[in-house]
Amino acid sequence: MINIGQDLEKEIASIKSEEDFKQIRSKYLGAKGIIKGALKELANMSIEEKKVQGPLIQQAKKEAENILDEKEKQLQSLIFDRNLLEQAEDLDMKLPKIGHLHPITHTINKLDSFFSRMGYSIMDGSEIETDEYCFQRLNVPTGHPARDMQDTLYIKEPHHLLRTQTSSIEAHILEENKPPFKAVCSGRVYRNERVNSSNHFVFHHYQGVVVLEKVSLKDLFGTFDALFKEMYGPDVVVRYRNKYYPEVEPGVGPDMRCFGCQGKGCTICKGVGWIEMGGAGIIHPNVLEMANIDKDKWMGFAFGLGLDRWVMAKYNIHDIRTLLGGNLGYKYYENENTI
Amino acid sequence: MKILYSQIKELVSDLKATPRNVGEALTNIGFMMDGFEEVTYRGKKDYLLGLEIRQNRADCLSVVGLSREVAAYYGLKIKLPEVTPVSFLSDEPSVKVESEKLVKRVLALNMEGLKNEESPKWLKEILSFYDMNSINLLVDLSNYVMIYTGYPSHLIDSSKVKGRIRWATNKEKKKFTTLDDTTITLDGKNELTIEDDEKILALAGIIGGKEAAIDHKTQTIFMEMAIYDYDSIRQNARNLRIVTEASNRLEKNLDPNSAYYAFQLLTSLIIKHCNGAVCSGLYDYYPEKRLTPSIKFNPDKVSIFAGIEIPTNQSRKILSDLDFSVDDKNKKLWVIQPPISRTDVEMEEDVIEEVIRIFGYDKIPFDKVPKIEVVKDITSRNVLLSKKVRDVLSPLGFDEILSWPLTKAGENEGTNYKDWDILKLQNSVNEDFPDLRQSIGTGLVSQFREYQKNNVDKIRIFEIGRVFGKKGDDYYEEELLGILMNTTSNIGVSGARGVMETTLRSLGIKEIKYEKADRKPKIANPYSCWDVYVKTVKVGILYKLSLEKSNGNTYFVEVNMNKITDMLDKFKIIPTVEITKKLVILDANIETKKDESLNKYLNTIKGKIPDSKVWSMEVVDKFELDKKTRYTVRVTYRELSDQEAKNIHLLAFSTKVK
Repeated sequence: MINIGQDLEKEIASIKSEEDFKQIRSKYLGAKGIIKGALKELANMSIEEKKVQGPLIQQAKKEAENILDEKEKQLQSLIFDRNLLEQAEDLDMKLPKIGHLHPITHTINKLDSFFSRMGYSIMDGSEIETDEYCFQRLNVPTGHPARDMQDTLYIKEPHHLLRTQTSSIEAHILEENKPPFKAVCSGRVYRNERVNSSNHFVFHHYQGVVVLEKVSLKDLFGTFDALFKEMYGPDVVVRYRNKYYPEVEPGVGPDMRCFGCQGKGCTICKGVGWIEMGGAGIIHPNVLEMANIDKDKWMGFAFGLGLDRWVMAKYNIHDIRTLLGGNLGYKYYENENTI
Repeated sequence: MKILYSQIKELVSDLKATPRNVGEALTNIGFMMDGFEEVTYRGKKDYLLGLEIRQNRADCLSVVGLSREVAAYYGLKIKLPEVTPVSFLSDEPSVKVESEKLVKRVLALNMEGLKNEESPKWLKEILSFYDMNSINLLVDLSNYVMIYTGYPSHLIDSSKVKGRIRWATNKEKKKFTTLDDTTITLDGKNELTIEDDEKILALAGIIGGKEAAIDHKTQTIFMEMAIYDYDSIRQNARNLRIVTEASNRLEKNLDPNSAYYAFQLLTSLIIKHCNGAVCSGLYDYYPEKRLTPSIKFNPDKVSIFAGIEIPTNQSRKILSDLDFSVDDKNKKLWVIQPPISRTDVEMEEDVIEEVIRIFGYDKIPFDKVPKIEVVKDITSRNVLLSKKVRDVLSPLGFDEILSWPLTKAGENEGTNYKDWDILKLQNSVNEDFPDLRQSIGTGLVSQFREYQKNNVDKIRIFEIGRVFGKKGDDYYEEELLGILMNTTSNIGVSGARGVMETTLRSLGIKEIKYEKADRKPKIANPYSCWDVYVKTVKVGILYKLSLEKSNGNTYFVEVNMNKITDMLDKFKIIPTVEITKKLVILDANIETKKDESLNKYLNTIKGKIPDSKVWSMEVVDKFELDKKTRYTVRVTYRELSDQEAKNIHLLAFSTKVK
């Protein structure tokens, strides 16, 4: 009686919108649709006709439903995709800015991380210091020749000054803590220098102090060795020589073989072949005594490193003023690997 | 200090080590070689070593001192040149030491019948290695003995002296012309001088005067070698800004005893090379004779300090090679006496260092990492806080800079908002930068300008550093975080606020509030300038910069890190909660007078709502009316039913709920 399949297929192929689909579904399966109409006509038929036509109508209905359901699914998928397309965004190819830490900070972080693993605490201290903590407590009494090395910036001579070395923090650590302890600290230090490409009135020190029942030069060298390998890799060559600092006895000068010339002599090392890395030694008994630490029970070692020359060498900075001035820039799409 | 290899070899005749090895040995034991040069001396190939001399080894600013070190290192003998004994007459020169506290020893005599002339080639040559010009034979011999022995001397043409020669302290402003024809003004701050009845002959220990200087016509001389209170020489040289080879030696702790050998050597050399004769007695002022100390020394400590076994026999040999006397009758506690020239050795640790340095640091293993001994953590919270701030700001696109803590005069006025006075330096050589900064803003703004000048875009920078100031006699130093951002987008001052709040809240700080600033920096737009509070504590400032030449808008935030650290010590936040009910979001409109603080109002409201029931509270809208400001406050409640939340909300705001 009815042959829906072919007509329906044709009509569905012409669907352009959700509305078209609704109309066609209504045309075939709606209350006034073709299938309903056929079923109504069935009521007027004889039992025999019903037996023949009834199943045919049901089959046609099922066929229409299948075709329409299938089409609806296709249509929903298309609509969903169209919506996605409408909501879609394209990539903005502008470079997002990455922030950077200062190379001095990077270096300090690396050193702090190393010493934290070695069980050291990390401390800080004030930049305005007194003569007592910057000199006297470090065994540099008034008039001591070692003050030649320190051309001090004074706030009010002779008592208040800007610290010339982070050893002043060491003096506070020694006074304020009961041994045993191990600590590092870093910060700015000041000297009365004219500023030019290789000198500045402010630069950066890294300091360490250890007070235990027993320490030795071997412990100090071992600590430095691990440190230098951490910073410069396993092939670094370091020598340890005797050096004078009033706060330590015996004193040590650790030098690293120049990375610019491998010891042959160049402008970086001023022809010497070695780069002075700082100063160290076994803490002088006078320093312990001034901090009320029993020198017969406790021993300590201390070290101080200048950071600026390391940093300048590592980052290929030729002018020390760059570290603290307008010339330091960061390429904003590149960052240092800190892992 | 420079030294020729042949000079060492002359005194340590058994020396076999090469010149470079000698330099490396000296480096190892405390005198770093910073120069090595092949030269020609007396027609032969020689080597000039440049050495950095330990500050406490005045004795090693000499050929003799360094040769002693070389001899000790290689375990060899040193032989000083023998000096022909000089005969003195009975009458001493007319000399008086008035400044007794500042003069430790004076050796002086008169000589006559001298023939002064140009120096021989060898003498000129050797002085040239020390960058000294040849003046004339007498002066050159005096300088030669200084280099050789470490003891400066001073020769005066006695025909130009009037009356008695005195060591006195100058208390007036006086002009003085030095040997090298430089006129300086003495400021009367107790400069130690050598004077006659009419004039200053020399600045003692520093430099001689022109008026009684030796010249080629000089036939009679007054010759002196003196040792002074080294601190006063250092002070005088520093105050007068004159550094000479003499002052460089005499401002260190030189042993007065050993001056006698140097004095005799100079006298004999003058007699030998300039003819003439001594025509006076020897004046020897030496009221407090310096004695060598006796030091108790536990030989076992050497190995403890070194960290490896150094046999006591080896310690004994090293001390003996250094010419120390060793009394080891008591095996556990020796008595050590250093040679008289060694003013640096006073206590047991000095002796320990002597043994270990000559033993050689290079023999101590350097690759043994010490066993990690766990001790208590005393880490400063301030350090941790600064690290965290950096870790927050850099992912937000901010670059860290470090700027000058010194500022130009007047620069602080632009950025300061504190009630501090400016802290000035007394003696900065950088006259253009006399003041310490009062705000991180000075550095950040200057960096910002520099970046703009150089076409750097996306300027978002920060610095953590110290600022300084004073009130009366008290000095202040604080650690501050400064953030500066420049933007051409419309994120505005709220964007800057967002950065600061993200930073502070990620540290665990809450209840950040803003009030119109009490004191506004000059570079701030006064209408966009707020004090930043955490609870009731003022912690910083936030403002828009009013810069004349600037692309886009620029904002600055400054936060006092010391105060934030204190706060974190005081309160602990645990923001974790369990969500078992839907959150209830309710708004309320409130109106305040134009000059009324919203924070006070909100504090009152907060007091009425149990903290445990608040998820969040924020101002979501602001509308300016004629005389009032209307705010919409949104409160999100947790763990309450809709009705319970409404009840609390109504009660708190006593107003209609939207």
